[in-house]
Amino acid sequence: MNLVEEVDALWKVLLAGMLGGVGLVTLYAFGLLMVSGRVTENGGTFARVMGRAVGGACFTVVLVGAGVGLYVILAK
Amino acid sequence: MDANTLLLGVVVLTALAFDFTNGFHDTANAMATSITTGALRPRIAVALSAVLNFAGAFLSLKVAATIASGIVETGAVTLTVVFSGLVGGLAWNLLTWYFGLPSSSSHALIGGVVGATLIAAGTSAVKADGLVTKVILPAVLSPVFAIMVATVGTFLVYRITARVPEGTRFRGFRIGQIGSASLVSLAHGTNDAQKTMGVITLALIAADVLRPGSGPPFWVIAACALSISLGTYLGGWRIIRTLGKGLTEIQSPQGFSAEGSSAAVILAASHFGFPLSTTHVCSGSIMGSGVGKRLAEVRWGIAGRMAAAWVITIPAAALVGAGAWKGTDVIGGMGGVTAVFALAVAFAGALFMAARRVPVTHDNVNETWTGTLAPERERAA
Repeated sequence: MNLVEEVDALWKVLLAGMLGGVGLVTLYAFGLLMVSGRVTENGGTFARVMGRAVGGACFTVVLVGAGVGLYVILAK
Repeated sequence: MDANTLLLGVVVLTALAFDFTNGFHDTANAMATSITTGALRPRIAVALSAVLNFAGAFLSLKVAATIASGIVETGAVTLTVVFSGLVGGLAWNLLTWYFGLPSSSSHALIGGVVGATLIAAGTSAVKADGLVTKVILPAVLSPVFAIMVATVGTFLVYRITARVPEGTRFRGFRIGQIGSASLVSLAHGTNDAQKTMGVITLALIAADVLRPGSGPPFWVIAACALSISLGTYLGGWRIIRTLGKGLTEIQSPQGFSAEGSSAAVILAASHFGFPLSTTHVCSGSIMGSGVGKRLAEVRWGIAGRMAAAWVITIPAAALVGAGAWKGTDVIGGMGGVTAVFALAVAFAGALFMAARRVPVTHDNVNETWTGTLAPERERAA
């Protein structure tokens, strides 16, 4: 790997790192917020159920992200 | 048994010992945050990390061609050079463990091999541009990346979950921490155990036991996996304490974003073929998790000591590697190798005894940080 390829890889690493390390981490935090019911506490039953569903969807995306990480190790 | 077989045996033994120190040196990378936040009990954390390191070692068998390939001329790498390089890496790993400093085991090994090659074959056998692009540039940038990612992640995590009840928050981040730390452990087993497999395979090829271009035999894979996971299970409590308590006081949301950042950066780097050190990334992430939390204190003095250790890792290991090669060369033959090996064992024993005077164990690793590695209670005793 020469210097040009190295710098090219650098940007990708930073971008992917941000996507996983910030994106998935904050999505997980958002999922926690949704399932905690704090956002939907003044709404009706439907709002609460929707809140939990959105939270569950966030956790699923995070799990898929972790799965992609595992795939990266396996496919290397 | 001829001298060559005996030399090969010593090299394999030294490589496995290095792999073992690699394990206990790096337990902290994955588990320091989970241990200090109470997400996992200390013994459970190291056991989980050990199992995942073991599994990780079997996951991918595409061994990084050879140690230090692209950094030193492969033709210059003899069995004695490999042995001396391992001794250099081993000595630096043990010394930094004693002082509780996280430093890169790969850098220590590369440093040892570079030092031994320099003195054995001269400056022309070391590729300076390879050293810059494969080692120095990643070493400078990886902690910076990790700090950036973890700072932003921690800041956002705290903002988002500010209204979440404490119980839900702790439970949620506890699970998150265990998951992300497991991913880091698995990646560590895959990357680091393979380095030692590469070293042993190289030694077997150099000794004509394997044909050039062969992959590692099963016993090599199993021995390396076992060695790194045993080391991990032993737990480098001194380093865990520095990273988990000394650098900054970590709470579970910080622990989660730090490990999340480490996992993401390590996996991204391994996907794009950018060679960086797990230790540099994880230490950077923990620092970032301190920066990203309002009013959290990062002890920059400790961060500075760590950075200083990173800078001198390669020269220091190179010096020991060069010294080890010279020692074996001056004494000559199998006697030289045996003498250097015995010296390395004595050095390890002395450090182990010194560490026992004020021990850091699973029992006191979480004691309040009072400015030194040694817990207050042990110092008073």
